[in-house]
Amino acid sequence: MIATLRHEFGMQIRRPALWIVYGLAFALLLASFQQGYVIPYLGRDYSSHTATALVSVATVVNSLMAMAYGCLIADRLVRDRRLGVDEVLEATPAGRTGRLVGKYLGVCAATAVPIALAYFGRALVYAVTEGEPGALALSLPVFAAMVVPGLLFVGALCLAGPLLVPVQLFRVLFVGYWFWGSLIPANMMPTLSHTLLSPGAHYPEFGFFGPVKPPEGALVDSEYPVYGPWHDAAFNVLRPVASPAVAVLWMGVMVALTVAVLLLIRLHTARTEH
Amino acid sequence: MRIEISRLTKTYRGGVRALDGLDLDVPTGMYGLLGSNGAGKTTLMRILAGLLRPTSGTVRVGGHDVTAPDGRLAVQRELGYLPQDLGVYPDLTARGFLDYIALLKGLDSRPFRQRRIGELLEVVGLSDAADRKLRGFSGGMVRRVGIAQALLADPRLLVVDEPTTGLDPEERIRFRTMLVGLAGERTVLLSTNIVEDVAQTCRSLAVLARGRLVFEGTVERLVARAEGVVWTVTTPGPAPSTGRVVSAVPDGAGTRYRVVASSAPEPDAETVEPTLEDGYLALMETARHAS
Repeated sequence: MIATLRHEFGMQIRRPALWIVYGLAFALLLASFQQGYVIPYLGRDYSSHTATALVSVATVVNSLMAMAYGCLIADRLVRDRRLGVDEVLEATPAGRTGRLVGKYLGVCAATAVPIALAYFGRALVYAVTEGEPGALALSLPVFAAMVVPGLLFVGALCLAGPLLVPVQLFRVLFVGYWFWGSLIPANMMPTLSHTLLSPGAHYPEFGFFGPVKPPEGALVDSEYPVYGPWHDAAFNVLRPVASPAVAVLWMGVMVALTVAVLLLIRLHTARTEH
Repeated sequence: MRIEISRLTKTYRGGVRALDGLDLDVPTGMYGLLGSNGAGKTTLMRILAGLLRPTSGTVRVGGHDVTAPDGRLAVQRELGYLPQDLGVYPDLTARGFLDYIALLKGLDSRPFRQRRIGELLEVVGLSDAADRKLRGFSGGMVRRVGIAQALLADPRLLVVDEPTTGLDPEERIRFRTMLVGLAGERTVLLSTNIVEDVAQTCRSLAVLARGRLVFEGTVERLVARAEGVVWTVTTPGPAPSTGRVVSAVPDGAGTRYRVVASSAPEPDAETVEPTLEDGYLALMETARHAS
């Protein structure tokens, strides 16, 4: 497992496409969210509350760069067969489950590096410009609670998807899924967005770090001070009111979904090998 | 490392029967496996490598049952496998790729691993290209990386599936020579549809046709199958209509044909000494008529 993890990490992190795609995603992020990503968090506005600033950075980074993350992971599992490497790997005494877990962890870790750079880089700028070194310490639990669980699930999902549909088609479907299941308002259409099953990290945001108080005049729904069920939305049973316990539950759901998808991948490979 | 195969059958989904009650004993040393495309050679290789489970029958390698999880693991620890369609990671160097496979084969000691990789790169003549990305390698170079990865754990069983396909003549000869040099105390199972590869490397062989064993024995015995049925005839006209034409070479005003046929294909045809290729063709003709 460790050998696979190390080599998959190395191959993914050296992949030019990784940095090109993330570069474009980051540029798009700045263009789309500059109010959220650049201006408020330079410490000139309302971001005197450190947790609020970090949570907002995590939310903004998560919303767009996670799409690039999923698309970049999508070809990693199926490429072994496409390249013809799988037979050599299968003929080694290394266990299939260990190799799958190693590949999953190595690929996900490497693909998450640019996201971590964008997030921690922003936290560093905040710490320096605000004179708040504590922001660096706080940035770790915010990242662990808000970004990592969703990335774990998305990583497993994107390894698995191309086993069923071609990679390019899966990427299109995944981007659609990301908007539908993570970004759109819950009352726009029946959606898993803003539920416990969504990789969008609203439950830890509100459960652990409190609601983000919008600045005066900001375009935020100020009539929605707590996070939970939406008016006129389907699947509200999956949208309990946010609390620390529910945030932990959401993290558990993400991990459980991840394990379930990895098990399905393992079953799929077992079924197709004979 | 002895391979004992008994009543081995493999039927794929959809009902395609790739192996049909195969019985075969493979001793230590170089051993050839011949057959046309679709004869079941690759299926057999993949079963031996633990990649496929047979539908029925038994396969024991060095006393281990390949179809049982423990047996498969034990065999894979002793196995070097070069698949027919070998692929590599194009973004890794030759050394990096071998390092990865070595780790998967359990060579955990870094100094030992590095020394072993260096030795094998020398054996396959790739020391100078060791740190180049594999995407720039020719087909022959990739094959040599393939044989190096197969030898990493000093296997007692080497299974190579059509290793010379696509190689130029010089590479092919080099590769064959390398395989013979590696045999020694190992069992090297060479699967191919190129008769010349077996003729130049193996003393014993088996021939498969439609998933069944149609010959098992020495090269000399297979050659002997064609004694008295190989003819040459030179004619300005079309090829003889009886028998199988082995070769056709322009000769003066006509063409000199080499034909495998049970009787003279032309009145002026002369018998000649058979080769392994003639023996193989004679055998396949017999098998075809029998089926």
